[in-house]
This record gives sequence, C-alpha cells and structure tokens, in this order.
Amino acid sequence: MFSYIMRRLMFGAVTVVGVSIVVFVVMRILPGDPLVAIFGPEGFTKLSDQERAHYMAQLGLSDPLWLQYVHWVQDIARGDLGRSFFRSESVAEMILRRGPLTAQIALLSVLFSWLVGIPVAIVSALRPNSWADNLVRLTSVLFLAVPGFWLGMLIVLTLLFTFGYRAPLTGASLFTDPWTTLQMVIGPAIVLGLGQGAYIARMARSSLLEVVREDYVRTARAKGLNSRLVIAFHALPNALLPVITLSGVLFGFVLAGSIPVERAFGTPGLGNAMYIAVSERDVFVMQNLVFLYAVVFVLLNILIDIIIAWLDPRIRLR
Amino acid sequence: MTMTAPETGAAPKSQAQTRTSNLPTPPSPWRRTTRSLATFVKRSPMSAFWGLVALAIVLTAVAAPVLAPYDPLKSNFRAMTKPPSANNYFGTDQIGRDTLSRVIWGSRTSLTVAFFAVLLGTTLGALWGLACGFFGGRFDIASQRAIEFMQSFPDLVLAMAIAMALGAGTGTVIVAIAITRIPFGGRVVRSVALSLKELPFVEAARGLGASNMRLMFRHILPQCVAPFLILATTHLGVAIIIEASLGFLGVGIPPPTPTWGNMLSDALNSGLVPPWWLVLFPGLAITITVLAFNLLGDGIRDLLDPRLRGSV
Repeated sequence: MFSYIMRRLMFGAVTVVGVSIVVFVVMRILPGDPLVAIFGPEGFTKLSDQERAHYMAQLGLSDPLWLQYVHWVQDIARGDLGRSFFRSESVAEMILRRGPLTAQIALLSVLFSWLVGIPVAIVSALRPNSWADNLVRLTSVLFLAVPGFWLGMLIVLTLLFTFGYRAPLTGASLFTDPWTTLQMVIGPAIVLGLGQGAYIARMARSSLLEVVREDYVRTARAKGLNSRLVIAFHALPNALLPVITLSGVLFGFVLAGSIPVERAFGTPGLGNAMYIAVSERDVFVMQNLVFLYAVVFVLLNILIDIIIAWLDPRIRLR
Repeated sequence: MTMTAPETGAAPKSQAQTRTSNLPTPPSPWRRTTRSLATFVKRSPMSAFWGLVALAIVLTAVAAPVLAPYDPLKSNFRAMTKPPSANNYFGTDQIGRDTLSRVIWGSRTSLTVAFFAVLLGTTLGALWGLACGFFGGRFDIASQRAIEFMQSFPDLVLAMAIAMALGAGTGTVIVAIAITRIPFGGRVVRSVALSLKELPFVEAARGLGASNMRLMFRHILPQCVAPFLILATTHLGVAIIIEASLGFLGVGIPPPTPTWGNMLSDALNSGLVPPWWLVLFPGLAITITVLAFNLLGDGIRDLLDPRLRGSV
C-alpha cells in the first residue's frame, strides 16, 4: 500500500509540472497580447510604444519565456500568488478568504449527490424497467441536461417572489456564524448536487445491475439471506467502487461548475473570484486560479485512487 | 433524419420482396438507410422522438431569419422589459429587444459553435489517437502524458482560460471548446486502433506492401467511424452547456450577438431582480436542446454499439 501511494504521488508530481506548463502556455504564449487583455483593445491602441515597453518590463513580460516560467514557479513555491491589478488584496489572501466557501459548497454537494443518487439507484436497480426505474432514468437524464447556473437563477427568483427571501451575500465564517454560512452555501450545493446526483444514480444503477448478477450474490441468496441484507451488505459495497471513482471526477467538475453557479446565486466564493478575474481580464490572477483548480483536481484524483486501492485489494496488490 | 411513418411501413414489404426472388439482390443504399432508420424508430422510440426534436431545433437555427418575428438586435424603446404578451410571446428585454427572436437566433449561435467545436476537437483527437494507437512506442507514451495533462483541468476552467487568452469571438470560443474535446476523441480512437492493428487483415495488407499511411487511413480509420460518431453526438450536449456557461461568464461570443448564455448574463446584469421571462426562456432552450442531443446520442450509441447499451 505504501509503495502504491508513493508511486501515485510521484505520478501526481509529474502531472502537476505538466499542468503548470499547460497553464503557462495557454495564458502567456497563445496569441493574445496580455496588454490587450489588461487595457482592452481600445486602451491598447492608445498606448505609445514606450508605454507598452514600460508596462511589459514592469510586468516581467519582456524576459525570455523560459525565465518568465521559472519566475512564476519560484513565486508559487514561495507562496506568493501575486496581486490583482484592480484590488489591494493579494491573491493568496483572496483564496484563503473565499476558498472555504467554495470548498463547503463542493463537499455539501457531493454529500447531497450521494444522499439522492444512491437510494434512487437502489430502487431503480432492484426492479429494472419498472415505472419507478423509468421515472428515475428520465429524471436523471433531465438533470444531466439542465444547466446548473440556470437552475440557480430560477431558485433565486422563485424564493424571492414567493417568500421575499434572498440568501445573505456577505461573508461569514463557518465557525462564527454557521447559520448565515449555511444559507449562503445550501443553494449552490443543492443545484450542483442534483447535477452530480444524476450521474451518480446512473452509474450506481448500472454497476448494481452488474454486481447483482455475480456468483457470490447468488450464493448469499441461496443460503437464505434476506434479499435486502444481500443488497445492503453484499452487492452495494462492491457496486460503490466505480461510483466513488466517478464521484472524485465529479468533485473536480463541481469546482468548475460552481463558477457560473456562484455567479447565479451571488455567492462570494472562489468561483465568483474566477468570474471577476475573467471579466476584468486579470491575466495573472486567472493564471494562478486556473493552476490552483487544476492542482486541486489532480490531488483529488490521487486521493480517490488511494481510497479505491485501500478499499479494493485487487488494485492494491497488483 | 427523415423518420416518417410511410418509410416505417415500407421496410417489411421490401424484405418480403427480397425473399420471394431467387437470387437475393443486395439492398440499395437508400433502402438500407430507410430500413436502419425503421429499426432505430422501432427499437428506441424515445430516441427517435428526441431525434425529431433535435432536427426541429437544427431547422429552427437554419431558418432563424424567417422564423424570428423581430430583428434580434433592434431595440424598441416603447416596449422595454415587458412581460410576455400577444406582441412579444416571450416578452422583451431591458432595451426592448424581442426575447423570442433572440432565443431563435441564439439557437443558431449555440449549434454552430457546438457543432464545429465538437467536429474540430474530436477529429483532431481522433487523428492523434489513431497515430498513437498505430505507431505506439515513445510517441504514444509522450502523447498519453500530454493528454493526461489536458485532462487534469475541469473542462470549463480550461475553456475559460483559453477563451480569455485568445480574446472574445466566435472562432475563439469554438477553438476553446474544441481543445477540451481532444482527449476524449484521442482516448477512444486510440483504443480501437490498438486492438485493430494486430488483426490479420492489417497484417495481410502490410504483407501486400501497403504503406503506413494507407494502413492507417484505408484499413483502420473506417473501423473507427462508429465510435467516433457515438462520441461526437454525446459531446454535442456538453459543448452546448460549455458555450452557454462561457457566455454567462462573459468570455463567450461578445454581445450584442444573441446567445443563450449572453441572454442569461444580461438578465442578471439588468438589476437586482432579473425579470422572470428573461431567465426562463433562454434556459429552457438550453435544457431542451441538450436533452434532445443527449437522448439522440444514447439512441445512436445503442444502435451502433449494442454492447454499450445501458451503460453510463
């Protein structure tokens, strides 16, 4: 197990390096001029050549590309994620302030997706092609198609019109004011959880249907075990393995999905910061945020792989 | 795409005719198409129905100039932020543009972007995957690594970064979404190519002196068409959602071009409380379109590759 974890972490380190190169290539080398991004096309044409050179030098953009890359990596290693052009707060501070909110949204939505997806999948898989199964499948297909941010906007509007309620918009920490935080987090979490729940339900259903056909499940039935016990203690644990893997992948997609969803709800999380960075064309903040999202995504995948290996000796001992 | 009742009825009759003749002639391409369509309708009526819906949406996009009752860009300052009425079935926005017309024109942008992004992305990915699977070795290992790096980003984040770096525009949005689709095409086609290149017919062609290019494109590529089609249709829905999200986040196709994402973004920017009709209709359009393409994709997958039926 230890060697497995080490191997996985080493691959992860390689991936993080690769990811940093991809981020750098996308943000710096692709044919968009950062000054155009900062000043806008009109502002850019108004700048004189001297001013352009001055700004480029100030931003460290006239160095050769490999040097820029090295500087960037050094900055990240020192924990200096730079500053926004438009705000006094440093990016690191912003991540620390806004990150927890997004993390809570993501965790809560994963929890929610399991609470919805798994029971529904069990009902569905126990009687394939029954009306309940068809209903479940139809609903899950529907929720795969509904864009989360639109659902979010509808929820905000409905609450506002029917109850005159709007979730608080300014930050509170989980420890000092859990009730306010919950109100801010619950909406995005439900929206994102429903979308994930649809995937989870589909995966859990097909995986359960497969496992139920296995010999050991038939043996358990044959020795006279109650069919519910067989499902709960024999079939379900094995059927959940692919669901856990999927859930890990979905976790990463929730982080991305929370960008538009947080905008729809007006939640001041990291996703909203990403939206602001994009709309202000704040290249450097964006570069670091994209890198952060990717690193979290990679770490999550490693974590999931380790959990799966821990749960499934077939992988651990290979 | 013409799944009409007469054709469904025609298929069994043609079978009977072939049986009565002494030498069964191979069915003409036209008949083969109608017959496979008939099986499609019979086997999965749901998918066939949603295929019709998808067709209707495509036709709407093509015929947008005819169907839209008003100019989607023209403001009518005497009817600003008006709820749905007999004049404007879907209401008007803050500067008096007709929402129905904008939703109809939005389908054009959405579908164009999704179609070209998926075509470009999966084709590039497929060619790359074909080369990886066929040549193997170091090239394959390096490519797999590169693909892994690309897949270490959530789709939307990568698309946002690329769209932002390239600057706003239809072309950039297409490229941004296409790049996020490359790994999927690559993986699928690579695995097909890997399993095919060891088969006797490829060996035989090689023995006859066929070049690598000929082997790849004449012998292996045709076998990859079915998985490619399945992949492409299932990714259309994803591409539409990403396009809408990019528009919503302000890195999509710049306004005033009507896209569903832009419309939702405009609604949110209009004030503290967005009018409900500006939120409801564009989102409904996204949902129905994605639903139609997803279910059509499921149906095509079941038809072309029955082994995958019922899987996620």
